[in-house]
Amino acid sequence: MSRPVRITIAESSEIIRRGLVAILKAIGTLQAEVNEVSDADQLKNSISWQRPDILVVNPSMLSVLPLQQIKKEAADTDMKCIALQSSLADSSVTRSFDEVFSIYDTGEQISDKLSRLMGKTDVDKRHESLSQREKEVIVCVVKGMTNKQIADKLCLSAHTVVTHRRNISAKLDIHSTAGLTIYAIVNKLVELDEIDRAEISE
Amino acid sequence: MSRVGKYRASDKMADLVVNNYRILLVMSRFGIALGFAEDTIDEVCRKHCVDTNTFIAVVDMLLDNGIAEPDSSSLSPESLLMYLHNSHDYFLGFRLPGIRRDLVEVLGKPHDNLTKAIMKYFDEYVEEVRKHMAYEEETVFPYVRSLIAGTADGSYNIGIFHKHHDQVEAKLKEFKQILIKYYPGDSSNEMNSVLFDIFNCEYDLASHNDIEDRLFTPLILDMEHKMTQNK
Repeated sequence: MSRPVRITIAESSEIIRRGLVAILKAIGTLQAEVNEVSDADQLKNSISWQRPDILVVNPSMLSVLPLQQIKKEAADTDMKCIALQSSLADSSVTRSFDEVFSIYDTGEQISDKLSRLMGKTDVDKRHESLSQREKEVIVCVVKGMTNKQIADKLCLSAHTVVTHRRNISAKLDIHSTAGLTIYAIVNKLVELDEIDRAEISE
Repeated sequence: MSRVGKYRASDKMADLVVNNYRILLVMSRFGIALGFAEDTIDEVCRKHCVDTNTFIAVVDMLLDNGIAEPDSSSLSPESLLMYLHNSHDYFLGFRLPGIRRDLVEVLGKPHDNLTKAIMKYFDEYVEEVRKHMAYEEETVFPYVRSLIAGTADGSYNIGIFHKHHDQVEAKLKEFKQILIKYYPGDSSNEMNSVLFDIFNCEYDLASHNDIEDRLFTPLILDMEHKMTQNK
């Protein structure tokens, strides 16, 4: 979906923190909302209301604030934790993390690790073109039909219609009916008089 | 003089603005007029009855200076409220209508279906922004004023006002993408210029939301915390 990924970076070194922020911002496929904290206190205070999807934390902060406690504060079991390692450490330190960033990682390595962590799948879909069926579904959506009406008209199950719509959104990166309308007009999926009858003609 | 790190109250206001033109937006929202001469940030703020700490915190956030969690306890909720309110006025009364005017002019032909569809999208988007801001003006801000006055009755808390900015931002982004990917017609300076404005507006809205999420909300949380402690 198009919601940006919320990432919190907890690291006391401003140079390292800002370096990582710069790398994350340079990853074109990543829509991130990055939040920085510089010590364990700030981390504790911010985590419950920031609710990051991903927490990148220097393990040395965890001597004051154990990982379990952070996860409890976040009240979010899905939050991924990444260790940001700037010094040699025993593997027992990083074992409880989902991933490890080393300060010697390249931008590409960081990008790969993030994609793997987030289990990106819909990215690939963008390169596929729309199927005939999907185009028909778009036309119905643009005309203002409900999923149920679309299912009846195209002889599909409502569930299949939902799947088609999800795939359309992923392929086109358009998530609203108004956006699909523009798409459909530009690509001549709908005749002008059909659109006139639909809700667009106020 | 451009600088690294936070601006200080003793820095000259003119230096700050000359080196960071985006701060111009902040000026009008705090009700500060140009013509600073050699006055420092602190002097200018005092002259216009704006809390200096709050001004600097907003500036730092816009310039992305320093770290993300500023000390919200030293901020003035009154100054921040004024800033946010004027910022709403700016987007709804000035910026977005301006973009709409330009869009209409570029698209021309009012009876064209594509034009209608594009304008419908834009109007829906503006309506969403308006609703979102109206909620803050009508519910959140009065609540904060009651907190300041010490008359909050506990029927509302800032936790209810959770992040719902994401959706509004995503919509403008989608609009921009659709125009870039699918807008037919010849390359024109006018269309590109509108797009440029939309990109800029998107950035400004994101900064505005950022200030609400990272300065305003923590400040209110802090005030709520203090109030429950006093009881």
